[in-house]
Amino acid sequence: MATATVPKTKIAGGSFLIEDRQPEEVFTPEDFTDEHRQIAQTTEEFALKEIVPNLEKIEHKEFAVTRDLIKKASELGLTSVDIPEEYGGMEMDKVTSAIIADYIAKSGSFSVTWGAHVGIGTLPIVYFGTPEQKKKYLPKLASGEWVGAYALSESSSGSDALNCRTRADLSADGKHYVLNGEKMWITNASFADLYVVFAKVAGEKFSAFIVERTFTGFSVGAEEKKLGIRGSSTCPLILNDCKVPAENLLGEIGKGHVIAFNILNIGRFKLGAGCVGGARTSLLSALNYAKQRKAFGKTLVDFGLIREKLADIATGIYVGESLAYRTVGMIDEALRDIDKHSPDASTQIRKGIEEYAVECSILKVWGSEMLDQVVDHVVQIYGGYGFVEEYPAERAYRDSRVNRIFEGTNEINRMIITGWLMKRAMSGQLALMPAIKKLMDEVLSGPSMSEETEAELTAERALVGNAKKVALFAAGVASQRYMMDLAEQQEVMAALADIIIEVFAMDSVLLRTLKLMQSRGESGSALPIAMTQVYLSEAMARIEVAARKVVAAASEGDNLRIQTTILRRLLKHDPTNTIALRQQIATRVIDAGKYVTA
Amino acid sequence: MADTILIVVEQREGKLNRVSLETLTAAQAIAAETNWDLEAAVAGGSVDAIVQEIAKVKVKKIYAIESPKLERYTAEAYVSALKQFIGSKQPKLVLMPHTYQVRDFAPRLAAALGRTLISDAIGYRKDGTKLVFTRQMFQGKFTADVSFSCDPPHFATFQAGSYRGDRVEMGASAAPVEKIAAQADGSAVRVKPLEIFKEAKQAVDLTQAEIIVSVGRGIKEQKNIELAKALADALGGEIAASRPICDSGWLPMDRQIGSSGQTVAPKLYLALGISGAIQHIVGMKGSRSIIAINKDAEAPIFEIADFGVVGNLFDIVPALTEEVRKAKT
Amino acid sequence: MKILVCMKQVPQKDAPLKLNESGTWIREDVSYEVNEPDAYALEEALRQKEKHGGEVVVITTGPARAQQVLREALAKGADRAIHLEGNEFVGLDSFNTAKAIAASIKDEQFDLIFTGLQSDDYGYAQTGVLLAEILGWPHATIIMSIEKSDGGVRLKRELEAGFFQHLEMPLPAVLTIQSGINKLRYATLIGIKQAKNKPLRKVTHAEIQHALGPNLQKIEKLYIPQKQKKTEMLEGSAAEVAKKLVDKLKNEVRVL
Repeated sequence: MATATVPKTKIAGGSFLIEDRQPEEVFTPEDFTDEHRQIAQTTEEFALKEIVPNLEKIEHKEFAVTRDLIKKASELGLTSVDIPEEYGGMEMDKVTSAIIADYIAKSGSFSVTWGAHVGIGTLPIVYFGTPEQKKKYLPKLASGEWVGAYALSESSSGSDALNCRTRADLSADGKHYVLNGEKMWITNASFADLYVVFAKVAGEKFSAFIVERTFTGFSVGAEEKKLGIRGSSTCPLILNDCKVPAENLLGEIGKGHVIAFNILNIGRFKLGAGCVGGARTSLLSALNYAKQRKAFGKTLVDFGLIREKLADIATGIYVGESLAYRTVGMIDEALRDIDKHSPDASTQIRKGIEEYAVECSILKVWGSEMLDQVVDHVVQIYGGYGFVEEYPAERAYRDSRVNRIFEGTNEINRMIITGWLMKRAMSGQLALMPAIKKLMDEVLSGPSMSEETEAELTAERALVGNAKKVALFAAGVASQRYMMDLAEQQEVMAALADIIIEVFAMDSVLLRTLKLMQSRGESGSALPIAMTQVYLSEAMARIEVAARKVVAAASEGDNLRIQTTILRRLLKHDPTNTIALRQQIATRVIDAGKYVTA
Repeated sequence: MADTILIVVEQREGKLNRVSLETLTAAQAIAAETNWDLEAAVAGGSVDAIVQEIAKVKVKKIYAIESPKLERYTAEAYVSALKQFIGSKQPKLVLMPHTYQVRDFAPRLAAALGRTLISDAIGYRKDGTKLVFTRQMFQGKFTADVSFSCDPPHFATFQAGSYRGDRVEMGASAAPVEKIAAQADGSAVRVKPLEIFKEAKQAVDLTQAEIIVSVGRGIKEQKNIELAKALADALGGEIAASRPICDSGWLPMDRQIGSSGQTVAPKLYLALGISGAIQHIVGMKGSRSIIAINKDAEAPIFEIADFGVVGNLFDIVPALTEEVRKAKT
Repeated sequence: MKILVCMKQVPQKDAPLKLNESGTWIREDVSYEVNEPDAYALEEALRQKEKHGGEVVVITTGPARAQQVLREALAKGADRAIHLEGNEFVGLDSFNTAKAIAASIKDEQFDLIFTGLQSDDYGYAQTGVLLAEILGWPHATIIMSIEKSDGGVRLKRELEAGFFQHLEMPLPAVLTIQSGINKLRYATLIGIKQAKNKPLRKVTHAEIQHALGPNLQKIEKLYIPQKQKKTEMLEGSAAEVAKKLVDKLKNEVRVL
């Protein structure tokens, strides 16, 4: 396995809330190996030379073109990074996996098709398939000869997928399962060859099956007319006495939920990385337009409000990269020592990834919301031209929206983030409770003198430290008030998730910048420092809103007053001149004509 | 042969390559500034006809370097013959046009004499006693002043179109001609030149077109070429392209303008999405009027355009086609 | 066939270039890429190897960053690489660069050496031809096709104005390759993975210094070109620009 040499520490999932990391412990894009860089380059070259010239055809659902692109991508090895070598795959690290998702993102439609194939379409077999199933299906999926799909949702069950109505009944001779029902919103449906279909055995036990397109009783419904990603295929699947050989049961009967949730977990880091790539593509399109468009005798890039948007987009990409590659870097570290020849290697790998379920969910939520803001900015920069189809801004705007919906809505993911952390805290797996208690004691004993340090970005470090305290404080207040009932308080859970998400983003971007400063020095890191400062300042404001919301809901009277005072103390920081910083960021990005970090 | 500028005139298959006249114009200017003598040399099998033509130009002397080994061009025979000749004459400066043939042998000729060649110059400057040659670098984004730091003879080639061949000064009387029997060592020639041919039938002779609409990388996709074709049709002109477009097969090779394609000088040259790499510019900079549309305000094409538009050609071209049609009715 | 491909790292095509403070060169803080004509030379070498067997070796000169070019070539299928590493190589003129390359391969027996027809930075179009002179080999420039023949190669060389010429020559020889001679391949993941384990020999300036002489030419300064023509820039919306252009076409260019 090609792994980065950088982080040597195995870090517990969710521990970013309670532990301070050293810059050396996080993986960043600056730590890409030569190999990673080359893969990024080959992927981007492929995307620019093969995908971009076909954007219109893709968008008009010329699926033959899309399939051909998948085939060409597999010839380069881009579809087989997660597949073991013995089944025709490349078996590379997850950083590589994320890099490809990131740099292939030039078309929302193609990225979705591609993601469904290499992610949710292929991975269930990689992680849960029997050796026979792997041998039969993975080489075909790796080579792009076959395209995969994943069928979980139904018309009446989306986020609550376990409530599915599709059933599977074992035939009298025990040779087949007979599937009946209808699946909905199935990506790649119209042209895939293999579908991982979820159904309840005997109407009760939620299970997964590998269904080939040619099985009798299987058919595909009509294409949905969608808001975005119109060049991807989304159709219902109709299972009408569909005969599936008994050996095509995937995993165990009644354990379908393990597959369903795990696969989504894994999919999320790719989705997050893809959003970063989408933002990079959007920035290029915005810069190209803004650099040539004239208004009032000036060029668009000369206007402060345009520059502000460009700076925000660049900052979003920088923070997004920090989050995405830190997360996959941790996953790779966790997977490093797994003996890939051991019989339960795939189980170990899956568990290794599951450890970072919170980080993956954060990446998904943060990335999709960042991209949505980016494409909104880009439409605005294009003005009227942003509202018409001839220009790329409009399509990117529509295409981005689905990222907040699929692979678990952002609402569901917010519940996962807070819920998972709380569960780990309760079970003692994560020392969240002691940390909360320590913080409560500390804040109640009044303000302490902060020690003066000489380290770089002292103020920024303090800010991130305080953000973590706010997260713990808000979580402490909420859990004291709601106890075991907290999971039912969706608004509070989501507000806590908002804080946690920002903490992880702030922590990641600061650590990346500190690491960068070690190699480039302070003067060589001016742009990353500016982006970090802008982001921290804005994130702190968002944390404040969310924390006050939690406290106001959870407390009243004197308690509320005391808690608000504590919050105010924790949130206190000197104002940052984000206007000047954004000007600085914009100047550099406009000058370079693309996203840069130096 | 002290203080002499020697021009090696290019002939191909017994015909004068007229770009040599441009180099003569440049050499006359240098000679006037330096008070050096100007002499010309023609190498080939038998070069009488070319010598007659060059003899009309104001040069002090012409050398006809002849040998059967020089009948058909090979780098090795040329280097061998010219090395001997230049080595014995020791001119200060040897000038040649920067043609494909010269690029093929001139670096080797200079090196064989332990000297160096400043290739593809677009001008010169006298800096005290030193001659400095200007040439484009980084695809025309910068100009460099380059000088020699070795003893003469110094070798330089001039880019086509840098000087005006029609401005060459004619002599009052025909220049004297000296015949040199070249010592070209035939046994050393390992390259065997075969037939010269044209690949595709030339469907159009772009050199005769009055209006040319030309597309470059900025056109992005093959189907967008239709936009340019529509404009060319509206204007009654021909469609052409820079090399990458023809390399991609989006337009046939015979539509290519530039050093490896055709050299044109129409009344109007409309450059769409062409950045203006040197190789393209040499093929069209003689155009009477040049209009450039490009999204990049820094594109070198604007250096030579009469009218420039920085903007999105996908908006401007359809609008322009429409306006042209209106204007014609 | 054993083929050496000379490759150069140049600033990316769309990279905004700035002059250094002394105006003698560009500022080095730009993104670099493979000189495009050299990419075609490599591709041609790989195709020849696929047809006739043999070995493809790539060579470059320059600081550590230039190694990227070699890594990429190895990932695309070159068998091994030679890096003349050091900042000292940056300022060499074409003759010295050719001498340095020749000195570093003195123990090798290549059948062919390829270069791109010119570099996108200097654009001298000389290094390959000079290398042939130093090695005493025949050469041909601006090659559009290569076929192996008995004891040599049959070539198609591009001439100006749409003409071509066939040539035959014995080996060993140096060829400069025209862009567009073939279609470039991508580096595959498997190629990238394998490239790590391919040999890369580093050669220092000190090792080949004895073969070099003083530079015979010197770049005195670099500057933004002075405009030769006065360009009138037209501005406005697409419709406005179109109207203005038609006005120019009617009244100044007079083609309407």
